[in-house]
Amino acid sequence: MARFHDLKVTDIHRTIRDAVVLTLEPDDPAAFDFTQGQYLTFRRDFDGEELRRSYSICSGKTEGRLQVGIKRVEGGAFSTWANEELAVGDTLQAMEPMGGFFTPLDPANENNYLGFAGGSGITPVLSLIKTTLAVEPKSTFTLVYANKGVATIMFREELEDLKNQYLGRLSVIHVLEQDAQEIDLFTGMVTEEKCAQLFRTWIDIQHIDTAFICGPEPMMLGIAKALRDHGLDDAQIKFELFASAQPGRLKRKVVSKEAGKKANQAEIAITLDGSTQTITAAKDMTVLDAARENAMDAPYACKAGVCSTCRCRVIEGEVEMVANHALEDYEVEKGYVLSCQSFPVTDRVVVDYDQ
Amino acid sequence: MDEMNLTDYLAQGGKLTSPANVPPRYRAELLKLMATFVDSELAGAAGFADAINAGPGIKERIAAAKIVLEKTDNADKVLKLMGEFGADTARYANHHPWTARLDRDADIGASRTEHDMRLAVFNYPLAGWGDAVVMNLLMGRAVGVQMEEFKRVSYQPLAEAFRAIAPVEARHAELAEEGIERLISEGQGDSLQASVEYWWPRVAASFGIGNPERFEALKSMGLRHTPNADLRNTWEERAGSALSRQGLQSG
Repeated sequence: MARFHDLKVTDIHRTIRDAVVLTLEPDDPAAFDFTQGQYLTFRRDFDGEELRRSYSICSGKTEGRLQVGIKRVEGGAFSTWANEELAVGDTLQAMEPMGGFFTPLDPANENNYLGFAGGSGITPVLSLIKTTLAVEPKSTFTLVYANKGVATIMFREELEDLKNQYLGRLSVIHVLEQDAQEIDLFTGMVTEEKCAQLFRTWIDIQHIDTAFICGPEPMMLGIAKALRDHGLDDAQIKFELFASAQPGRLKRKVVSKEAGKKANQAEIAITLDGSTQTITAAKDMTVLDAARENAMDAPYACKAGVCSTCRCRVIEGEVEMVANHALEDYEVEKGYVLSCQSFPVTDRVVVDYDQ
Repeated sequence: MDEMNLTDYLAQGGKLTSPANVPPRYRAELLKLMATFVDSELAGAAGFADAINAGPGIKERIAAAKIVLEKTDNADKVLKLMGEFGADTARYANHHPWTARLDRDADIGASRTEHDMRLAVFNYPLAGWGDAVVMNLLMGRAVGVQMEEFKRVSYQPLAEAFRAIAPVEARHAELAEEGIERLISEGQGDSLQASVEYWWPRVAASFGIGNPERFEALKSMGLRHTPNADLRNTWEERAGSALSRQGLQSG
């Protein structure tokens, strides 16, 4: 299982008004021997509640440093804190690098890569660009980079520098939603149609070996469709869905006031796939078995507390989880239990598989 | 750039890329799918391990050992992904007696045993070398069909794992076919045909009965695409022609 390590912040620089690039020095450098395009998952306590957030590594594999880019999102506790309060010398905690948003590199390759990035979706793509151009001297990289306006383009200067450093091997097409550009095609959103137009004139799609897409959901769908329509197959399209889809804060569980222990029967209200069923079950039966005995298709796999498929959240009442080899402390604090290992303790228990 | 409801995104073929962006019910169904694969591979490899000793020659022993090794390795590829969701991978690999089998004439249809998620077919014991090779051929063809389906799953890391696993599994089916060819040349056609008749309905059942409601739910999450019956038909055609190439009849 992945573990958390300490990383010291050795530098913070602002790439645009509301995004910072952190340079990190891990206590255990071997654990952070990342591959380009991977991300780190950080954890931090906010008002007694642990939050976890994933941010992509933006440095290249050959640069010999570990950097992540964090753009402040409206109402985002972690990104706001990182942008406003975090200081050089502070220590962060992160899990080892994860993710498969990359293809193996080989100096002998003569590949043409195409990257699409929306806003802060540039972070892993920047890592790919830097690493690929350094490791594969005969490969090229084309980046289509979507932003609201000039002022919100992360790493604009860095990309310019890379273009100069790798003359003729990196091309960057900025597509701006609001700011007008000399060429009409480069204004607006990167949609399926926009891609089709780019493929007609600006991008030689026939000779693209692999495409990388990192951005918000609608953009990913449009681009992927355009790529498939132009002959790329699924194995040639790599995705990284960025942070917008990460679940927000969770409410704490309600502690039931009449938590009595009267009988050996418990009333369990179980929410699954949007509907709630209330059943009565013996307290020596697990919540999972109780649900399944009542024809609810509650999820499970190992039934040994190992795999976490059966995870649900206790909203009210109390259960006793007799074994847990899968949930971490912070999940347990939030009321998550493995339903295959959980027996009702209070007379009334409310659980939710949809949270 | 606006945001989009994750349900709509998935229904339109969107991909999810890390444990951080999967919703709870999706997480559960995805873990079930992964556990089914891991358990089937571990149980399949464990059952086949005995067949190594039944191999009639060095080539057969090598082929059987390779299959055991590679199926275990394939299980590991997917188990690693389960680990990113919190599963205790070290404990998982050993929490269950993967060699356990029911009686050869037990009738469990498509249902699974209580404590693991292996496909029902992996609960039946093999009866000797020829029987193991037939099972491996029929199941190998079934896995091939399943791989085509699962290479399309909306969880990108799993789709990629399956893309790496598919050619390895395809090779296992080829090895089985080569094994059958040799046994046929040695005049064992009749007992192989008996094995085909035993395994055919059991492998067919591994495609599941298909609850349309459940299929639609999984389809909307991008975890399934083709109905079970269609997958089974494809398998029947392919396994049938593999058998007839060897002069055997489908069950």
